Amino acid sequence: MANSRVIIVRKKDISSPKGIPDLNCLVRMFKRGFSLLNGPGDYKKNLQILFKADDQIGIKINTLGGKNLSTRPEVPQALTSLLIKSGIPSKNIITWDRTNRELTTAGYRLNMNKKSIKIFGTDSRGLGYEQDLTSHLNIGSRFSSIQSRIVTASISLAIVKDHGLAGVTAGMKNYFGAIHNPNKYHDSNCNPYIAELFSTDSIWKKHRISILDALLIQYHRGPAYHSQWAAEYGALIFSLDPVAADFASWQIIEELRFAKGLPSLKEEGREPLYLKTAEKMKLGKASPADINIIREEI
Amino acid sequence: MKRRKFIKLSAATGTAAGSGLGPLLMDLYAFQNSSKLSKVEAKFYKKYPDREIECVLCPRFCKLGDKERGYCGVRENIDGTYYTLVYGKACSIHVDPIEKKPLFHFLPGTPTLSIATAGCNVNCKFCQNWEISQVRPEQISHIDFPPDKVVKFAQKYSCPVIAYTYSEPVVFYEYMYDTSLNARKKGLKNVVITGGHINPEPLEELIQAVDAIKIDLKAFTQDFYTKYVRGELKPVLEAIKIIASSSIWLEIVYLVIPTLNDNPKELRDMCQWIANEIGPDVPLHFSRFHPHYLLKNFPSTPVSTLEEAADIAGKAGLNYVYIGNVPGHKAENTYCPKCKNIIIQRQGYIIAKLKIKNGRCTYCNNRIPGIWI
Ligand code: SF4
Repeated sequence: MANSRVIIVRKKDISSPKGIPDLNCLVRMFKRGFSLLNGPGDYKKNLQILFKADDQIGIKINTLGGKNLSTRPEVPQALTSLLIKSGIPSKNIITWDRTNRELTTAGYRLNMNKKSIKIFGTDSRGLGYEQDLTSHLNIGSRFSSIQSRIVTASISLAIVKDHGLAGVTAGMKNYFGAIHNPNKYHDSNCNPYIAELFSTDSIWKKHRISILDALLIQYHRGPAYHSQWAAEYGALIFSLDPVAADFASWQIIEELRFAKGLPSLKEEGREPLYLKTAEKMKLGKASPADINIIREEI
Repeated sequence: MKRRKFIKLSAATGTAAGSGLGPLLMDLYAFQNSSKLSKVEAKFYKKYPDREIECVLCPRFCKLGDKERGYCGVRENIDGTYYTLVYGKACSIHVDPIEKKPLFHFLPGTPTLSIATAGCNVNCKFCQNWEISQVRPEQISHIDFPPDKVVKFAQKYSCPVIAYTYSEPVVFYEYMYDTSLNARKKGLKNVVITGGHINPEPLEELIQAVDAIKIDLKAFTQDFYTKYVRGELKPVLEAIKIIASSSIWLEIVYLVIPTLNDNPKELRDMCQWIANEIGPDVPLHFSRFHPHYLLKNFPSTPVSTLEEAADIAGKAGLNYVYIGNVPGHKAENTYCPKCKNIIIQRQGYIIAKLKIKNGRCTYCNNRIPGIWI
């Protein structure tokens, strides 16, 4: 079976001193990332393979970390512009997270206009969580109706952070924001819950790609923002394999920790065990020998 | 959240309407639903550097960074201070007979003003109230119902007892504690219906403020607690011992789930433990399970299984063993252990006969443990 590919596209000094990334650079990074998804190719073609014109594309971002440590608004903005160029109508694109308050705190401008790109939270009027419970393995949760009803093709556009319990939070754990009771899945290093949640129909059947905002990485004491342990990394990480994308994020966090003389996550008893569980469940690859990491600078 | 929705919740789950307390519904209707969560500092937590905290209220000991919530979903670290988000934020308010809790040896036939907030510190796969216990407070309807209002309501609706129940009162500890102190000043009593997942220090403080605690002992093996409760057995047993050695009243409920926790050996071990560690006089209720929440594929408990469990408890020397959720069963009555007469006859939640006076059986004068009218 072919190895999974993870593309890491970096651009030095992409963000201003205030942490605002350059939109044009982001667009170039996205183009590069998409073009390399299946080996060298055309970004538009690759997007057209991933998404149909009538798909309702959900871009699930992570805005838990407030202004300092959330998916930057410019990132989905750049992504959206390319989706539109590839033939997706703007009205078919939704950038979303749990609450409108978290979205606005992170710098997003809400938009529920049906005719344009939408940005809103699960707590918006008329949405909310499903009444029916999804019961799957150890998971018993109500899904955000955005994920369960509206979205047909999902992008996990998470940020990369150290996590006090899971070890790492990236593209897979991002979907904790798609259920009503994420706090119930934080024991035993969030394992097997991250993998099990990902394997529910509402996620597994809809997830198309993990794209990770690694412009700023919280490599220690996450998931809360601590400036002294946050590194300007200037990267976007792309993979069709959600497990491999998270695995690569973990490796970067370990590199940053090593450089700062911090113990590894394993030494701290926080190795992201969910990755091995996910691999066993055949959700993707979590072994270095099975993953090709392609690093690009632009 | 809409007022109508809140009322619907009240009526659908039980109560005020079912109890014939139309005025209570009208009073509740007058409340504004609250869209805000509380921000009242938690009582039991430790502060660490870098805005991190550790909650020491329950045996989970959640360690949280800034802006994170505990497992129970109702406590949040905001800039290094830990807050309860549900202080005075009631999501369920009903008037129930105390028999419904169930508490059988505590003021029989007394109506209780029963309140709950969202949240729970475990996640039982058979939870009957998961719609309120397994959600965050912002995901359900609630009203502002501060402690002084709770007490006024209890007085207005002639409820001598306030019950903290339905979800898990440990997670709304501060609200329960303050309400209890307030109620006590007005001569009301307080009872707590809990899974007993609480640390010794907060429990000992709570015991000073309340009059009875009913513990749901969910099984007698850690394996069951791991798989079906997502909690720990040991701290619950510890809590039972602490309550039993205090001056407040204790009853234990055991929900019998077919094939999961109905093994006779397990039941025997549990009854023996109760007899040895707590004594033979603590009431033990074996309650009938019905398929619910994440255990919908299990059958209801056969009545014969409950009878076998009650038999095991009797043989272990326990004096007050009940069978619950089986209306009309003879084991919902209280029998005097000495003369074997029925001293409390129950028909559902109605007390049909009460033959206890000054805490003694009126037939043979045997002392009957409990808190009596
Ligand atoms: S009360 Fe809640 S926050 Fe505190 S330790 Fe228990 S589950 Fe965690």
